[in-house]
Amino acid sequence: MRTSALSNQYGLLGILLFFGAWQMVGSLHLAGPSVPSLTEVWATYREPWKLASLGRAAAATLTSAAFGLCAGTVIGTGIALVAHLVAPLRSGLDQLSVIVNAIPAVALGPILIVTVGRDWTPLTLAAIPVSFVMYISVSSGLRSANTRLQDVFQILGARRFVRLFYLEAPAALPTFLSGMRISVTAAIVGTIVGEWFGASTGLGIVILNTMLNFQIPLMWAAVLMAATTSLTAYGILGVCQRYLQERFS
Amino acid sequence: MIELKAVSKEFRLNRRKTLRVLDGIDLTIEAGEFVALLGPSGCGKSTILHLLAGLEQPTTGSVTIHGQPPAELRAAHQLGVAFQDHALLPWRSVQSNLELPFQAAGVPIDRARIKHLIQTVGLQGFETAHPRQLSGGMRQRAAIARSLALGPQLLLLDEPFGALDAVTRRHLNHELQRIWLDQRSATQQLTTVLVTHSVEEAAFLADRILVLTGRPGRFLREYRVPFMRPHTVEHTRLEAFHRLCDELTLCLDPDTPSGSPSSSVEMEA
Repeated sequence: MRTSALSNQYGLLGILLFFGAWQMVGSLHLAGPSVPSLTEVWATYREPWKLASLGRAAAATLTSAAFGLCAGTVIGTGIALVAHLVAPLRSGLDQLSVIVNAIPAVALGPILIVTVGRDWTPLTLAAIPVSFVMYISVSSGLRSANTRLQDVFQILGARRFVRLFYLEAPAALPTFLSGMRISVTAAIVGTIVGEWFGASTGLGIVILNTMLNFQIPLMWAAVLMAATTSLTAYGILGVCQRYLQERFS
Repeated sequence: MIELKAVSKEFRLNRRKTLRVLDGIDLTIEAGEFVALLGPSGCGKSTILHLLAGLEQPTTGSVTIHGQPPAELRAAHQLGVAFQDHALLPWRSVQSNLELPFQAAGVPIDRARIKHLIQTVGLQGFETAHPRQLSGGMRQRAAIARSLALGPQLLLLDEPFGALDAVTRRHLNHELQRIWLDQRSATQQLTTVLVTHSVEEAAFLADRILVLTGRPGRFLREYRVPFMRPHTVEHTRLEAFHRLCDELTLCLDPDTPSGSPSSSVEMEA
């Protein structure tokens, strides 16, 4: 407890130092006009119409990211279950997932624009990395159940699905959630990249437009918003994960 | 009736080497009998248990339970098991862990039976506790209760008290016999195979003791325990009990000079 409290204090100190340095670089114009001070960025949030348009953009991005997260989780978990239950498919599915994940999102973007359309591209680019992360974490989670416990289920004459339902699935819950935790930031990154290919709205669009129009404080405000959203989601899932870790391992 | 005929078991270590852990095992166990397999660690006694549970297949020879392969007994949910590590589901309470055998068998949960078992092993009041909240001895009690949940024909005990301190262990041995007699009178037959390296435990609990030698495991000797059930503390103080323990100890460690006073010291080893 003591060391974790201490590291929390150091963490807080680090964040304060970072923001302090940012403020100094910005207000002294050390990096030119492209890095405004924290107070300038903060002022953006206090202009009602800018805040409203940022809010709309964030809502659109979050919606795409959330659906992408759900779709990717369902797909990744589904494939992991198939690979787990049908052993001969396992190595093939492992390789396939690695190959799909190795294709850069930037290369997939144009293909997706002409196939699924510009409004679905952000969601799809969010779902791809999520499904990969979920496939890997659920696969290893399902295999994490203690061999003694596996023996007990076998000796009790449990059927395959009984073993999956009462042993392997609960044992996989903590890694499932840590997968979700990593996925949530990947989903937001994927969505923003997807939006750059021409979605109608979203934080990615705001970032792109403000960059092209040289509205630097607004651009930073959008970036900060994206980062905060993704860190908040990461933190919430971290709390859930810790709870499950205590219960299921 | 359980029969092992000319059973041997080899494990492949790598492309060239195989390890023979059991060799020429012949064993017949009558229904309702309590047999202890006693031997040094690594002599293959747990492997015999795995063969009986159908978790492993013999390299040569045959294992039959009532004339059928062990997998049949397993599929009929007639097998109970307790290991050295409790192997309870950590996310389930005691009550819920005892419900598992019923769920595994796909039969309705018999709550009256679970209640009776929890009382029998002395865990009343701990139904909602999770394994990590229990002491080592209490976890083993819960594991024993679980192994008996479905009223199995064959009970396999793999060093169930091996990780406990000597006092708790002796106490639980007495408890186990009481529970075992209680269950046997209810189900008529509860054939039990206990794997242990404790001489006292084997002599106290079993009807018959088989001593194995190490690598590859072979049966060295067989002893019948000459006391009537229930075995009591008084029995453990008899001259005959001590003589049996001394002989078993000597079997386990033939290098010990005969008549050496150290044999009684090694009883717990």
